[in-house]
Amino acid sequence: MIRKMLGCAVAAIAISGSMAAAQEATSGMTKGAPDLKFAGPLAFAPQGILLVGDPQGGAVFALGTADTTGQPDQVKLDVPGLDQKIASALGTTPAEVMVNDLAVNPASGKAYLSISRGRGPAATPVILVVEGSGKISELSLKEIAFSKAVLPNLPAPGEGKNNQRGESITDVAYADGHVIVAGLSNEEFSSNLRSIPFPFKTAEAGTGVEIYHGSHGRFETKSPVRTFAIYKSGAEAQVLAAYTCTPLVRFPLSELKPGNKIKGTTVAELGNRNRPLDMIVYQQGGKDYALLANNSRGVMKIALENVEKAPGITEKISDKAGQPYETIASLKGVVHLDRLNKDHAVVLIRTEAGALNLETIPLP
Amino acid sequence: MGRRPTLGIALAAGLLGCGGASGAIRLEEGLFRMTGGEPGSLAVFVDGASDPIFGTERRENGTLVFEPRFPLRPGLKYRAVFTPSGGPPLEGTFLLPAPPPGPPTTVVRVFPSVNVLPENQLKFYLHFSAPMARGEAYRKIHLVESAGREVELPFLELGEELWDPSGTRLTLFFDPGRIKRGLKPREEAGPSLEEGKSYTLEVDRDWHDASGRTLGEGFRKSFRAAAPDDAQPDPARWTLEPPRAGTREGLAVLFEKPLDEAMLHRVLGVVGPGRAPLSGRIEIDREERRWRFFPDRPWEAGRHALVADTVLEDLAGNSIARPFEIDVVRPIEKRIDSKTVSLPFEVRE
Repeated sequence: MIRKMLGCAVAAIAISGSMAAAQEATSGMTKGAPDLKFAGPLAFAPQGILLVGDPQGGAVFALGTADTTGQPDQVKLDVPGLDQKIASALGTTPAEVMVNDLAVNPASGKAYLSISRGRGPAATPVILVVEGSGKISELSLKEIAFSKAVLPNLPAPGEGKNNQRGESITDVAYADGHVIVAGLSNEEFSSNLRSIPFPFKTAEAGTGVEIYHGSHGRFETKSPVRTFAIYKSGAEAQVLAAYTCTPLVRFPLSELKPGNKIKGTTVAELGNRNRPLDMIVYQQGGKDYALLANNSRGVMKIALENVEKAPGITEKISDKAGQPYETIASLKGVVHLDRLNKDHAVVLIRTEAGALNLETIPLP
Repeated sequence: MGRRPTLGIALAAGLLGCGGASGAIRLEEGLFRMTGGEPGSLAVFVDGASDPIFGTERRENGTLVFEPRFPLRPGLKYRAVFTPSGGPPLEGTFLLPAPPPGPPTTVVRVFPSVNVLPENQLKFYLHFSAPMARGEAYRKIHLVESAGREVELPFLELGEELWDPSGTRLTLFFDPGRIKRGLKPREEAGPSLEEGKSYTLEVDRDWHDASGRTLGEGFRKSFRAAAPDDAQPDPARWTLEPPRAGTREGLAVLFEKPLDEAMLHRVLGVVGPGRAPLSGRIEIDREERRWRFFPDRPWEAGRHALVADTVLEDLAGNSIARPFEIDVVRPIEKRIDSKTVSLPFEVRE
């Protein structure tokens, strides 16, 4: 979902730097079968490298898809009844298929889906590729160039006996030679964001960063980041993070250093009783916007102009405040989204009848 | 069907239109085989679906073999279609027998076990007797006030759902945006729990386990909300009851209040006279107020220590290291930067 780079000239510099990094990445990968236990959040790094968050295995995988060319500007992805088609291809029923995330390869315009075949702990992880023709195929993980970064699961004074702790991965992204991973423990409550240098140099991903934000008046909370995007404006890249009960929080990417404690700036409150699902950033008419899909408040288009200078919301607010936004009324049931090209996004829509459709939409 | 399939029951198979096809489709050990040696191709569908299942085709001694990419699902009907190079297709339908069902899955425990919870209670742990299916949790769990009114969206809903690796324990966080702070609820939606009110946590019976069956029965846990707890767990207030040397009695640790059951299994340990960690068994009881450690080997005499990771939380998410939330106006809470705290105790003869 999150190829979230923006900002014209700055992005161009970033990408040229990143391409060198990516070449190094593919050459450093080993060929074989990655021991992926669960295919969760997806994001693309340059040169067709697919990043896959594996919360069950506590790791992030980088897969060399070799899908590096195409005409993404010409692609249109529209597959109605995608869940039924996937279930048929995987030899099972739609109820036994979970689509965990969507990411579009910016190099080819093909959509990649992380799937669970089955819904229990023994479910098989599958990565599917959807092309503009509607063809669905599997990204074979039998013999693929890959590398892996393991997220540390906290060591225990009790030697980890009966350790049922796991760290769910809520989102991954690539930015400037780093893989950013948002995580959430199933025991202690914390917001944990990691920035792992890419290509992965060590198997261990190191310690994370705790992020606080001062929303809701005078209390700092460390709620988990639900989804985030990397946003560039001016010289500094910013992380734009959406939390549950939807404050939008900003902090500089450069602050993501192991062991740091970051105080984020709350730049928007987008309303309560709401859960953000997925976010991208894009440019339109020379201005920057974020597009945020939510579970109950629809898809929001949020103006990012001057977001890096916004003083932040420190007062208790009853519902909404901060950066201006509009809700895109025509987009209902969006559960995942990613940018397809400069004018279009690809969305996964859960219809009221329960079907899952893949659609291409013009960026609003 | 000439031979009895070793895996799968052929429901209907036969020559549809004949057209010179002389073989039959069989399902053996997960592989579809078209005998007869006639050129053509073999495709397999979930019965009723129009897109074929993923798989590979090969020839084995003249027999066309289709190997499904994924194991066939017991209880599901599959349709295999052989399309000869010339002539009409041959079709067969197969049903894999479902294994006999085991005992139905149930909710076995919910933590915290205490029935009076602080109104800023942070989470529940739901333990099940067998692995559960992902994707339904937040629709199947309800928080109901004593008057029968359901609390709207009380929990933090994460698409991933927070299961342990075995799929038998769900961590259910209250939405931190709905936890009451200070004198007034901070959101128009109001807090999930309010002091003095009674609630029931309800689990629906029609929640599916990993095998696709619903729970054997629903589950209810009733409790009352009490005053908020903003105090950090304080190891200085814990009472240690040391065991005697030469025995394998339990070291008992009594807490000043109930602590997080899951973390008590993971972040508390005992080190011996040489600071070496001891292996043993942990028991937690008295509504998560008592933790006992039974060593695998008899206790040696000498100085031991209980070691606690400062991430250890109480029911409201206050850890030894820091309170759940920092009050930026009155930052009076203590913050502990060390990773662990040690409580020494003496094991005597």
